[in-house]
Amino acid sequence: MSHPSWPFLPTEVGVEVNLQEHEQEVLENLIVDLRHLLMADAHDALRRLKPPAHPDNEEAEAAYRELVDDDMLRSRLDLLDVIDHGMNGATLDEEGVGAWMQGLNMIRLVLGERLELDGADLQSHELPEGPATFLYEWTGELLEFLVRAASG
Amino acid sequence: MTAPVIVENRETESVDDLSRPWKVIVWDDPINLMSYVAFVFRKLFGFSEEKAHRLMMEVHQDGKAVVSSGPQEKAEMDVFRLHEHGLWATMEHDS
Repeated sequence: MSHPSWPFLPTEVGVEVNLQEHEQEVLENLIVDLRHLLMADAHDALRRLKPPAHPDNEEAEAAYRELVDDDMLRSRLDLLDVIDHGMNGATLDEEGVGAWMQGLNMIRLVLGERLELDGADLQSHELPEGPATFLYEWTGELLEFLVRAASG
Repeated sequence: MTAPVIVENRETESVDDLSRPWKVIVWDDPINLMSYVAFVFRKLFGFSEEKAHRLMMEVHQDGKAVVSSGPQEKAEMDVFRLHEHGLWATMEHDS
C-alpha cells in the first residue's frame, strides 16, 4: 500500500522517487555540501562516517585506513553521483536504492555530528531548534520511507 | 569429542594467534535508524528478517552485537562494508 504523496513509491520494478521540487533542491544542496566535506576529508564533520575498525590498536588502525580510505571515498562519491542522476521520476533498482539509503544516512550522520547529538538527546527527543535539526529529521523520514518502500 | 591440548610454547602461540578467527562487532550509534540497520544486516549478510531484527535489537539494547566472524581478510571486508553503510563496526580476535 502506498500514497501518492509519499517520497518513495514501491513499484513492480523498483522504487520510484517522488519528491516535491523544493525537496529535490534541498537534497541536491545537501549532496553538494557532503561532496565538499568528503573531498576535503573534513575530519570533525566526518567523524561518524569514519569510525575506527581497531580502536585499541593504533598500528592495525593505520593499516586498515591505508587499505580502505581511497576505496571508501571513491565509493561514497560514486553513490552521490547515482543519487544526482536519479532524482524525481526515476525508478531505482537495487543499486539505486542502496545508493540513496547510504547517501541519506551519510547526510544524517554529518548533521547529527554537527548538532552534537548523543543517545540522551535522542531518547528525550529534545533536539535543538533550527534548520540543521529540521534537515536531520526530514532526511530521517525520507530514509524511513525508503526502507519501507524497498522492503515491499 | 577430544579436548584441545594446550601447548605452552611462545612460537606455537604466535602461529595460533595469526590463524585465530576474528569477530566483527557493530556498536550502537543512536543516530542510525533501527529499520535501516536491520535492512543493512539483511543486505550485507543475507540474514532472515527475524535474525536481522534480533541483531539490530541487540545493538540497540545492549550497545553492541557480533554480526560475523572469520579470517582477518573476511572480517576486514565486512567492517569495510559496514563502514561504507555508515554503521559503527570494529573487529577483534575471537576469544
